Amino acid sequence: MPRLTIEDLKRIKEQHKAKTALREGAYRVKVTVHMGTCGLAAGAREIMNVIMDELQKAGTTDVVVTTSGCAGLCSREPMITVEMLNSPPVKYCDLNEEKARKITKEHIIGGNVVEELAFVQGCETSY
Amino acid sequence: MEGNILIVDDEEVVIKSCERILSPAGYNVKGATSGEEAINILQNGGFDLVITDLKMPGIDGMELIRWLRKNSPHAGIIVITGYPSQESIRDALQLGIIDYLPKPFSPELLLDITEKAMNTVKAKKIEEKPVEVKDVEAKIGEIMSAIGQNKGKPGALIPVLQQVQEILGYLPPTVQRIIAKELNLPVSEVHAVVSFYSFFTMKPKGKHNIRVCLGTACYVKRANEILGKLKEILGIEEGGITEDRKYSLETVRCLGACGLAPVVMVNHDTHGAVDPVKVGDIIKQYN
Amino acid sequence: MERYRVNLMLCGGTGCIASGSLKIKDALADEIKKRGLQNEISLTLTGCNGFCAQGPILIVHPDEIFYEKLTPDDIPYLVEEHFIKGRPVQKFMYKEPEKRAAVPTMNDIPFFKYQVLRALRNKGLIDPENIEDYIARDGYMAAAKALLEMTPEEIIKEVKESGLRGRGGAGFPTGLKWELCARVQADQKYILCNGDEGDPGAFMDRSIMEADPHVVLEGMIIGAKAIGANKGYIYVRAEYPLAVRRLQKAIDQAKEYGLLGENILNSGFSLDIEIYQGAGAFVCGEETALMRSIEGKRGMPIPRPPFPVVKGLWGKPTVLNNVETYANIPQIILNGAEWFRSLGTEKSTGTKVFALTGAVNNVGLIEVPMGIPLRTIIYDIGGGIKKGRKFKAVQLGGPSGGCIPESLLDTPVTYEDIVKTGAIVGSGGMVVMDDSNCMVNVARFFLEFTTEESCGKCPPCRIGTRVMLDKLIDITEGRGREGDIELLEDLAQDIIKTSLCGLGQTAPNPVLTTIRYFRDEYESHIYEGWCKAGVCRELSTFYIDAEKCKGCGVCAKACPQDAITGEKKKPHSIDQSLCIKCRTCYEKCKFGAVKVGPRDMFKEEMEEVEA
Repeated sequence: MPRLTIEDLKRIKEQHKAKTALREGAYRVKVTVHMGTCGLAAGAREIMNVIMDELQKAGTTDVVVTTSGCAGLCSREPMITVEMLNSPPVKYCDLNEEKARKITKEHIIGGNVVEELAFVQGCETSY
Repeated sequence: MEGNILIVDDEEVVIKSCERILSPAGYNVKGATSGEEAINILQNGGFDLVITDLKMPGIDGMELIRWLRKNSPHAGIIVITGYPSQESIRDALQLGIIDYLPKPFSPELLLDITEKAMNTVKAKKIEEKPVEVKDVEAKIGEIMSAIGQNKGKPGALIPVLQQVQEILGYLPPTVQRIIAKELNLPVSEVHAVVSFYSFFTMKPKGKHNIRVCLGTACYVKRANEILGKLKEILGIEEGGITEDRKYSLETVRCLGACGLAPVVMVNHDTHGAVDPVKVGDIIKQYN
Repeated sequence: MERYRVNLMLCGGTGCIASGSLKIKDALADEIKKRGLQNEISLTLTGCNGFCAQGPILIVHPDEIFYEKLTPDDIPYLVEEHFIKGRPVQKFMYKEPEKRAAVPTMNDIPFFKYQVLRALRNKGLIDPENIEDYIARDGYMAAAKALLEMTPEEIIKEVKESGLRGRGGAGFPTGLKWELCARVQADQKYILCNGDEGDPGAFMDRSIMEADPHVVLEGMIIGAKAIGANKGYIYVRAEYPLAVRRLQKAIDQAKEYGLLGENILNSGFSLDIEIYQGAGAFVCGEETALMRSIEGKRGMPIPRPPFPVVKGLWGKPTVLNNVETYANIPQIILNGAEWFRSLGTEKSTGTKVFALTGAVNNVGLIEVPMGIPLRTIIYDIGGGIKKGRKFKAVQLGGPSGGCIPESLLDTPVTYEDIVKTGAIVGSGGMVVMDDSNCMVNVARFFLEFTTEESCGKCPPCRIGTRVMLDKLIDITEGRGREGDIELLEDLAQDIIKTSLCGLGQTAPNPVLTTIRYFRDEYESHIYEGWCKAGVCRELSTFYIDAEKCKGCGVCAKACPQDAITGEKKKPHSIDQSLCIKCRTCYEKCKFGAVKVGPRDMFKEEMEEVEA
C-alpha cells in the first residue's frame, strides 16, 4: 500500500464504516464474540464455532460474525453481542453450547430477542 | 581404585569392618546406620556407590533403593543381606542393583564385588552424556540461528535467551556458555540475567508445563490448595519435572485473568475457576 | 454531504411546535454547541410524526430511539447520557402501554450505569486485529492532527492542561514529564510504553493491549512527536502471549499503512516501534529497572537523578508511560483538554480503569470517572459481596498499596484521597475481600511477593522485607509475641525512608494499612492464639455450632479426613484429633454452623473432662 495521507485515512474511515454498517440488502445482523484472555479461557471459541455451525446449517448469508476483545465483565464470560438493524445491541453472557444455539436460531436468524437469556441492551459508548 | 562409597547398615560393626577393608584400597568411605540418615547424606549427591543392608528399622533397604533410583540414578547399588531370600534379591535386582553380598562375606569378596561395581558405574558415566548436552546437541541448529538473528543488536541477550528457551524449554549451563561466547559476553553476565528473571529456568520443562497462578485474586480463592493437590498428584515440587518428563510444575505471579480466579495454565491453555478437588481431571486431558 | 454519527429528527409539526418543540430545538442546539458536538450530531426539524399527543417528539438515528414529551430542562441530561455516554435515556422514551422492554438497558444495570468509557472506548466494539475497524472509530485521527497541525509545544500544552496523570501508579503529570524530556537536547530520544503489568490482581493493561492495541500505538506516536523521539519500545510481560501477538499484528498493520515508519502521513515525522518482551521481574515495572532490562541487563533500578527524561535508555532522554496513559492521549488531542477535565476532580481528572476482582459478584474491567466513591464501585458496579458475606476490605495498588476498611468506603477515588488512607490508586488492581479473609495473612502474602521480587540491590529492601516477612510468618503460625506489631511498624518506617526505588519504598504499605485498620486481628493472632477468619491453620479450631447445625451431612461428605460424624438431621461434630483444618466444611456449610474458635479452644475442655 502506498503511503497514506490524511485524506486516505478519512476515506478508509468512511468506507469501512459504510462497509460494516448494518443496512437493508447487506448485513442485517452483526454478532461480536468477545475473545479476550478471559473469554477464551471460558470457552468463547467453542461458542463461536456453535454460532457458525448454526448459521451454516440455516444457510444464512446476511449475518456477520466478528471477534473483539474483552467486554469487561469477566465473571460472566463467555459473552456475545448481537446487533440487529434498527434495534439496540443486546449482550448475552454465561453462554454454553445450548444457549448459543438457541440465541442463534431465535435471535440472530429469527430476529426475536431471547429475553430470558439476554443480559442487557444498549451500548456503553457512542462517541 | 578411587570412588566415594556409602555403607548403610543398622549394625555399626558392619560399617566399621567394611571401612577397614575398603579404605586401604583407596576408596573414600562413609557410613550411615539407618535409611533416614542415608537419605540425608545422599541428598547432597557425590556418591558413586551405595552398599546397603535390606532389613533395617524405619526406612528399609528396598525403600532406600527406590529413593536412590528416583533421586540419584547414577549411583551404583550393592545389597548386603543376612537372609538371602530369593524374593528380596529378585525385587532388588529388578530395581537395577549391580550386585549383592550374602552375609557373612570375606574381605576378598567385598573388594572384588566393589571393584567390579565401581567399574560399571564409571563406564556408565563416560558413556552417558548429561541429558542437557544431548538436548542442546539435538537443537543446536535452531539455537545458533536464534542467536544469529539477534547478534549485534543492542540489548540482544534477553531476546536470545527467550528464543532459546522457547526452542529448548530451559537454559542449562551448556547453552548459557554457547550464548555467552556467541554474543561476546562473559558467562557470568549471561548467568546473572538468567537467574534474575523468573521467566528463565535452568531446569527442563515437561511436555506439558503446568503453571499455577498465585496472584492476589487466585490466592484468596485457595490457589495454594490447588498447588498442593498438583504436587501430590504429580509427586513433584514446585519447579520440578516428572521422571517421564511429561509434566512440570511452576507457579506464576498473576496471569492477569483474575476474573476467572483461581487460574491454572497448562501449556498455552488457561483454565479458570479451578476446583482444587477436580484439578486432577484437568491434568488428565493432557497426555 | 457531511456524515454525522447521530442524526436528530425533531418533530416540527404543528402539534409539537405547540407543545414547545422550537424551544427544544434551541436547547438542543445550545447544548450540542456547548459540548462541541456540532460536527458529530446533526439536528433536523421534520414534518409531523403523527404522535402529536406525545410531543415534542425527538427521534435519534441511527439508534432509532423515540423520545417523547421533552422539556428544555431535560436536554442537558439527555445529551450527556445519550450522546456523550451512549446510554439512551429510558425515562424520556416512548412506552407502548402494554409492552415493556423485558431486556434491561445499560442504564438499568448498575455495572454499566456508573461506567464511562474513554480509555476503553473501543472495548468489545472493534476487531483488534483489523486496523480499519480502529480507523473507522476515529483511529489515528488524533495522530494525524498532532503530526500535521500541532507543534510539540501545543501537544504538551494540551496534555498538561488536561491534567492527565500517569496511570501506572505514581500519578506523575504526563504533560510535565513530556515537557521535561522535550526540553533536553539530544541526537536520540526514546519513547517507551510500560506494559509490564506486574501487580497481582491487575489486568487493565492486558485488556487494553488485547482489545485495542492501536490506541497504544497512536498514543505513543503523539508522545513521540511531543518529545522528539523516533524510536519506541513497548515492554510487555512474556506472560501475556495474546497481547504480544495482537500488538505485533497492530505494529505490522500500522507500518503497512504508513502510520508507523518513515514520514508518517507525509508529515515528515518518523517513528519506529518494537515490542520488547519482559522476562518476569516485578521490579521491571520501575522505570529505571525497565530500561536496564531493555538494555539486556539485570533489571535493577539506579538512583535518580539523573532522571530518565534526561538520561534514560542507553543514556538517552527517555519517556516511559503506562498503557492506559497512552490510551487516553488520542481522545485528549481530538476532544481537547477541557473535555477531558469535564470528568473527575480538579487534581485527578478524567477516568480510571480498574480490574475489579475478589469477593464481589461482578468481576471485571471497569472504567469510572475519578472521584467516584469506593462504595459505588463495590456495591453498585461490583454488585456487592458474593454469597451474602460481609465486606472486610478492599485492596488497592497491589504490593505497593494497602487495604481500605468499611469505614472509609465513601472515600472518593482520587490520587489525593486514596493516599490519605495509606493505600495508593496504583495501576488499578482492586481486590475485594470478605470476612473469610485474614488480614494478617493478606499482609504476609504481599510481603512474600515483595521479598521474592526485591532485586536485592539495596539492603533495606532486600533484608528489611525479609525480616518483616519472618515476623509475619511467626504471627500467622502462632509464634507471635508482644512487641511484634510495634517492631513491624518501626521496620516499615525505616524501609520506606531508606529504600532505593519505589518497590522498597512502598513494600511495607500492605502491612502498615492492615495494622492501622485491623490491629485487632493482629492482636487476636498474638494474644488470643485465634485467627478469627480460620485462615491461619495453627491458630484456628473448627467446630460445629449445635444450635445452627441442621444435620444435613454436607460437611461430613465433603470432609477429606472423615472427621465429621453425626446422625442425619441431628447436630454433627468434628473429631479434633482428625481435623486437618482444610476449611472445606466451613466453606460448604450453608447454615453458618461451622465456626472458628481459637487454637486452644478444646484444651480447656479436655482439662475439664480430666478434672
